[in-house]
Amino acid sequence: MTLLDFARGPAMQWALIIFTIGIFWRLVGTVLLYRRRDFSQPRRKSGLPDGARAIVMRSVLPPELEHNIVFQHVTGYLWHIGYFVTVLFLGTHIPFFKSLLGFGWPHLPNAIVMIAAAVSLAVLVMLLVRRMLHPVLQKISTSDDYISVIVTILPLITGLISYANIGFIKETNLALHILSVELLLLWFPFGKLMHLFMTFPSRYQVGAAFGRRGVKA
Amino acid sequence: MSEQAAVLGKFEEYIAHLGERAPAQQGSDDERLARAKQAFRAGLDGAMAIDLECCIHCGMCAEACHFYESTQQGKYAPIHKLAPLRRFYHRELGPLRWLFRLFTRDISLKELGEWQEFVYNSCTMCARCDMICPMGIQISPMVGVMRSGLAAAELVPRALAAGTLEQKQQGTVFGTGAAELVKTVDTLRQQGLVVNLDKDTADIMLLSTAMDVNVYTRSLAGMVKIMNGLGVDWTLRSAAFEATNFGMLSGDREAEEAATRRIIDEALACGAKTIIIPECGHAYAELRWEAANIHGQPLPFEVVAISEFLGRELQAGRLKLKSSAIKQRVTYHDPCKMGRLGGVLDEPRALLDALGVELTEMESHGATNYCCGGGGGVMLIEGAAMLRQRAFEIKMRQVDDTGADAVVTTCDSCRTTFITGAQNANWHTSVESLVELVAENLED
Repeated sequence: MTLLDFARGPAMQWALIIFTIGIFWRLVGTVLLYRRRDFSQPRRKSGLPDGARAIVMRSVLPPELEHNIVFQHVTGYLWHIGYFVTVLFLGTHIPFFKSLLGFGWPHLPNAIVMIAAAVSLAVLVMLLVRRMLHPVLQKISTSDDYISVIVTILPLITGLISYANIGFIKETNLALHILSVELLLLWFPFGKLMHLFMTFPSRYQVGAAFGRRGVKA
Repeated sequence: MSEQAAVLGKFEEYIAHLGERAPAQQGSDDERLARAKQAFRAGLDGAMAIDLECCIHCGMCAEACHFYESTQQGKYAPIHKLAPLRRFYHRELGPLRWLFRLFTRDISLKELGEWQEFVYNSCTMCARCDMICPMGIQISPMVGVMRSGLAAAELVPRALAAGTLEQKQQGTVFGTGAAELVKTVDTLRQQGLVVNLDKDTADIMLLSTAMDVNVYTRSLAGMVKIMNGLGVDWTLRSAAFEATNFGMLSGDREAEEAATRRIIDEALACGAKTIIIPECGHAYAELRWEAANIHGQPLPFEVVAISEFLGRELQAGRLKLKSSAIKQRVTYHDPCKMGRLGGVLDEPRALLDALGVELTEMESHGATNYCCGGGGGVMLIEGAAMLRQRAFEIKMRQVDDTGADAVVTTCDSCRTTFITGAQNANWHTSVESLVELVAENLED
């Protein structure tokens, strides 16, 4: 079995199994925890509208809050959008999703995707450096922050190397890229990357909690 | 300002020595740590778990915090204030606890002691950070859980510990109980006011505070005058007039519940349909949102802030104000527990509008208002004086930018923080009580 066979075969299968079970375990384990009942009289009936509003509007803050975090917002959007464009719209990625999901979608031109990947990588590296230097981030960062950013960056680096076919032979480059993606999948349920799934219930909660007090959050 | 400052002088002297009455620590370190963990376990629930699971450590919460903004010290980042609680959660309650126990250390009493500065001195639980978090994490209620853990471990700042012990053991606040209330009531009666003290039954049970009884007596007199003017059936009960809740501020759940139950029982005894909270932000938060949970079922009466009540009466046409009594440009400071955390946002502004003042809003007002720096008991913590002043300077700048001649608010703690902060900074903008303004401008 070649390295590429291993990466495409058992490594991918196990990575996907641990990714799926891990996410399920963490989501269910969190949701099943006891929730306190609130007997206070709500100012107005809340719930779905306030929660749904917060899911959307938490991305569009009032100016008096936004002006302190413009940098974080812009860089955050840049790398996330670049990353998802790369993952979802590179021509060579679509067949993988088609084999996994049973359906595919049109891809973007390689040049555009590579620009997106490069921007995403550059911003992630910049944010990693910022994490090491900023007084707040120095205080609150844990090993999870560094592991998560490294496993997020690695597929970009190996992907760009594979695309440009630098260094190793083509199959080895591709195998390393696939293995780096598997590393990301393996780490995903254990670290902060889980926010991809947790953000929505959390935003819903803040909207509903403030909503029952008559405040838009 | 000087008149208000003079009145406050005696009170400040009392506060300065409050910590001397703090209880001595009891129990071994192991026992205290175990009690802290038990309090953490009791305070956390599934909603908080979701919040704790989705933090990405972005640090944006710091950018909404007046303590971080005014000092630029990373240790004051709101999420950092939860670090021991987060680790406790991940090690003891979270779905990956078996993994976290392998790679993270347990919390220690020493660490909790170090966090006293973060959850008391540098956090007013104002919840501004809750409004900015991109994940939607509500940090302020979890600071409350942190405080309950530190209280269980006897790590409360001395002034708050002393106040909590006094209220728990003697039922008084700042040495003020029924006897002191009666004295103040006698003074008000000598001024010609009719004070319905200890009526057997009444539709409305009015609360007051030790601050109002001793310092801001004009506010108490104002409430009495307004109630009488409206012709409502009200009473002030000497057995449970105190709205201040030291247990809530310190995190001592037993003391918090006892003080709240006392008010609930008295309201039930006199058949009140409404409890009116005086100008006290944390008392509103406690009685409006927590009392029913302490009662274990919905309350059979409503709880309203005095400003909220007056706003409603104004809207119903029963409260009539002289619309041109004051010719000032003012700005309104939303007490965090009433505004952002209480939803009392429109009523105070409606009252100011009816008073005919020119209201100019601060850049951050309403749901994004900056705390004055003294809420959550920080006003009383001696070791927090410098931090409090730094945070207050943000508020001063916000007020100055409006060009207002006066700040109006409706919370004793905010008012006191403004007065002392202004004294320290030699700042000359006056701070006014909304209730006093209304009472002084009732239409005959």
